[in-house]
Amino acid sequence: MTPDYDLAVIGGGPAGVAGALTAALAGLGVVLIDAAPRLGGQYFRRPAPGFRAGRPGALHHGLDRFTRQCEDLAGRADVLTGHRVWTVERDGGAVTVRCLAGDREERPRTVTARRLLIAAGAHDRPLPFPGWDLPGVLTPGAAQALLKGDLVVAGRRVVVAGTGPFLLPVAAGLAAAGAHVLGVHEAGGRTGLARHPFLAAGKLAEAFGYGARLARHRVPYRGRQAVVEAHGDGALTHVTIADLDRDWNPVATRTVACDTLACGYGFVAQLDLPVQLGCALRADPYGDLAVTVDAGMRTSVPGVYAAGETTGVGGAVLAEAEGRLAGRAVAADLGRRVPPDPVLSRRRDRLAAFARALGEAYPVRPGWRGWLRDDTPVCRCEEVPLAAVREALELGATDARSVKLLSRAGMGWCQGRMCGYAVSCLAGGSPAGDARAGAGGQGGGEARPGAGPAAFHRPIAQPVRLGDLAGTAAEPPRPGPPGTPAEVSHPPTEG
Amino acid sequence: MSARAHPDFLWRNPDPRPSYDVVIVGGGGHGLATAYYLAENHGITDVAVLEKGWLAGGNMARNTTVIRSNYLWDESAAIYEHSLKLWEGLSAELDYDLMFSQRGVLNLAHSLHDVREGRRRVNANVLNGVDAEWLDADEARAFCPILEVGGHTRHPVLGATLQRRGGIAKHDHVAWGYARGADALGVDLIQGCEVTGFEITGGRVRAVLTSLGRIAAGTVALAAAGHTSVLAARAGLRLPLQSHPLQALVSELLEPVLNCVVMSNAVHVYVSQAHKGELVMGAGIDPYTSYGQRGSFHVIEEQMSAALELFPIFKRVRVVRTWAGIVDVSPDASPIIGTTPVDGLLVNAGWGTGGFKATPGSGWVYADTIASGRPHPLAEPFGLERFTTGALIDEHGAAAVAH
Ligand SMILES: Cc1cc2nc3c(=O)[nH]c(=O)nc-3n(C[C@H](O)[C@H](O)[C@H](O)COP(=O)(O)OP(=O)(O)OC[C@H]3O[C@@H](n4cnc5c(N)ncnc54)[C@H](O)[C@@H]3O)c2cc1C
Ligand SMILES: Cc1cc2nc3c(=O)[nH]c(=O)nc-3n(C[C@H](O)[C@H](O)[C@H](O)COP(=O)(O)OP(=O)(O)OC[C@H]3O[C@@H](n4cnc5c(N)ncnc54)[C@H](O)[C@@H]3O)c2cc1C
Repeated sequence: MTPDYDLAVIGGGPAGVAGALTAALAGLGVVLIDAAPRLGGQYFRRPAPGFRAGRPGALHHGLDRFTRQCEDLAGRADVLTGHRVWTVERDGGAVTVRCLAGDREERPRTVTARRLLIAAGAHDRPLPFPGWDLPGVLTPGAAQALLKGDLVVAGRRVVVAGTGPFLLPVAAGLAAAGAHVLGVHEAGGRTGLARHPFLAAGKLAEAFGYGARLARHRVPYRGRQAVVEAHGDGALTHVTIADLDRDWNPVATRTVACDTLACGYGFVAQLDLPVQLGCALRADPYGDLAVTVDAGMRTSVPGVYAAGETTGVGGAVLAEAEGRLAGRAVAADLGRRVPPDPVLSRRRDRLAAFARALGEAYPVRPGWRGWLRDDTPVCRCEEVPLAAVREALELGATDARSVKLLSRAGMGWCQGRMCGYAVSCLAGGSPAGDARAGAGGQGGGEARPGAGPAAFHRPIAQPVRLGDLAGTAAEPPRPGPPGTPAEVSHPPTEG
Repeated sequence: MSARAHPDFLWRNPDPRPSYDVVIVGGGGHGLATAYYLAENHGITDVAVLEKGWLAGGNMARNTTVIRSNYLWDESAAIYEHSLKLWEGLSAELDYDLMFSQRGVLNLAHSLHDVREGRRRVNANVLNGVDAEWLDADEARAFCPILEVGGHTRHPVLGATLQRRGGIAKHDHVAWGYARGADALGVDLIQGCEVTGFEITGGRVRAVLTSLGRIAAGTVALAAAGHTSVLAARAGLRLPLQSHPLQALVSELLEPVLNCVVMSNAVHVYVSQAHKGELVMGAGIDPYTSYGQRGSFHVIEEQMSAALELFPIFKRVRVVRTWAGIVDVSPDASPIIGTTPVDGLLVNAGWGTGGFKATPGSGWVYADTIASGRPHPLAEPFGLERFTTGALIDEHGAAAVAH
């Protein structure tokens, strides 16, 4: 069987679009697949075509450039938006990508290609605290997605909290869109801003832009502070903000009235598909996992490449550089003449080194565990409170997997994507060292030493209907009595 | 469900001692049950279970928990029925709610050949004291109302065997129940300890070499399921076992709709609804040998399309996870239990796709074999010698894929 395409790209953020375009320009047949209704990924998420945004560019730097890339791509490659990939398989020289198209009435669609580029991005890492399941509490990524994708300002009085440099653009975006941002509370300490890595990365203008914008909207930026509790009866009404010591133990608290809290503690690469394929992972010193790649963004699995947050969290500029490198490597590996681009490679190395430093500059400190109470839900899908996790530990569970089996934490709809990190920390492991966290278990997967909670083998990346799994999504016609047209028109399925 | 459903303490995490009377390799269900019965039935407690990962993280954690004893041949019926009798008292014995639910197991017949085989099996079972009934299509439908028996599907249901005493149990509780029991009796359960080789002198095993160092042993009992042949090769033994991936999947939670276990050998699927409400479905075995714990999708696809013809109402149910385990299959689809050409080295393997149900029985007879140095009467027919004598126990019909 000849594959449909030379290259299939999963993910339409800066990495995926750059990769697809580079490969298409080198003459490859390319398909790009993304779950969202429009290309953009996390950073360049844009309203669906029906929305009218006055100045969408105001919400992100570099949007014009990205938009041009998308337009170029549209003429040169097949772009499948609104397609969720639920599994990929590798068979000899080809990959098979299985997707579901559409929202409510999903249609299955299968694409085959000689090479695969995974640029699936990252998702927020929340930490639990009392009240984190109240309506009105969301992650920075979700607040940003609402703002950029739906032009919805999430709430009027907004508190932004958590850790990491991306709290700033979120706060700035919300403020610029008219929300009253009461403050940005960076648990890691304010020095983060002085040594702000954006400065180091030559993103001076961007960092100052945010700083200036925050100043213009009178948004205070506070270090060593965190939201340790959210209050409200059915919806958020106020939050408790604590001053923290070095280890994030609260030392003094006050409450602030607000209707929205955007709170997150960094990002976790979306690793379902690479893990499915068996790509080697590495754990960063600070405990996050990403796919290991070589200078051409090749993973350890032949024919599979990765770019963007899949290889480590590092921002949109790095993602684009990696996408271009991957596109070039795929073209070269398929026999196209691609001259080396040492400038691009050096740029990628510099940005990646900086991204690592950035990860190290915003570690999660252990004191957050003290914010929890016995009845605080740790796993929201299965409604598992801290008490149940503690009981599992008292029973002798020594790893996240046993905790999961005993308490059901992480066994629900999201399959541990949200609570996995917290559960492994509570189980006493470092999430990366807690190697096989969540592997095994009924429906578990591969033990993968050195991998973390995100790294268990999930043969399906998204819930899929049995009917689609069986390849019989369309309702078969009800069989009538033998010989009726319904049966005649139904092709024989017996092989 | 909260952890309150569990007893107060599970087990210690001791460091290995330099020497034990008995070392069991593999902390799955069979290894843990063996350790428990060694201590409980035979008073042998200087025992270690060495597990390279976590307790019960292998097939014990991956299986679909179907329990039944309606096997065709006398030898199999005897050992599986012994096991089923143990299941019936096991929650009390281990003082742990294993959620053993005897909801009945239907084996569907889709062809005249299946019907003949099914009837023959019912007769054989009844003669062996195993409860079994033959249901025609209408009776099968009455027993399981959501089953589509209509004649227009690819696999019309012509009838079914029913074992009412069959059912399901909660796999992790079973493993933890045995582990806790063994631990309380003094057995050392050592996790994260991989056996990498054997010290054999004068035709006798003296010690195992592990990732945590050398551990001397009077007897070494293998209970490593899918990895047994690799392990045995390190002791210079070639076992007639092949390893295959076997797949399963679990759905989102549903209201109770399926009141029994339904299996179909022709379609290669079996379905039950677990205690919490998720559907658990097993697919067939992958045709190629492999140690990668992932299965191929075409296998699942074909089987699910057939399964949906039997259960059209599941078409829109969402699968949240699929997985695979490595099962060890012998040439006659029956287990291998007993001594080996190396003195002091015993083997218990080849349970293939159906060893969960055998956990108590397997542990019971293996412990007895270890303690007495000669095969337990129920284990005797399953010795390694049968592959040279030719006294095979061909259970492909009952166990080829289904459980
Ligand atoms: C709140 C927030 C603020 C940020 N602010 C900045 C900033 O100011 N400056 C900066 O440089 N960076 C910022 N970033 C980081 C930036 O968003 C990322 O670095 C960048 O988007 C990474 O690009 P990517 O192509 O790797 O992945 P993404 O942009 O995340 O794109 C991944 C795409 O893959 C798709 N996808 C994933 N899985 C599947 C699947 N199974 N099937 C189909 N499609 C799938 C997703 O729909 C998504 O469109 C911010 C991030 C966040 C969350
Ligand atoms: C998808 C699937 C569905 C199934 N469904 C059913 C069913 O419905 N009913 C049924 O009766 N059976 C079923 N089975 C079969 C059943 O799971 C197995 O036969 C049974 O679990 C095997 O015994 P065990 O529990 O001891 O194996 P395991 O749990 O696999 O234990 C073996 C242990 O040995 C360890 N080990 C291996 N090598 C070493 C080493 N070198 N050093 C130390 N430790 C080692 C492994 O880590 C593992 O923990 C199914 C199997 C699968 C995969």
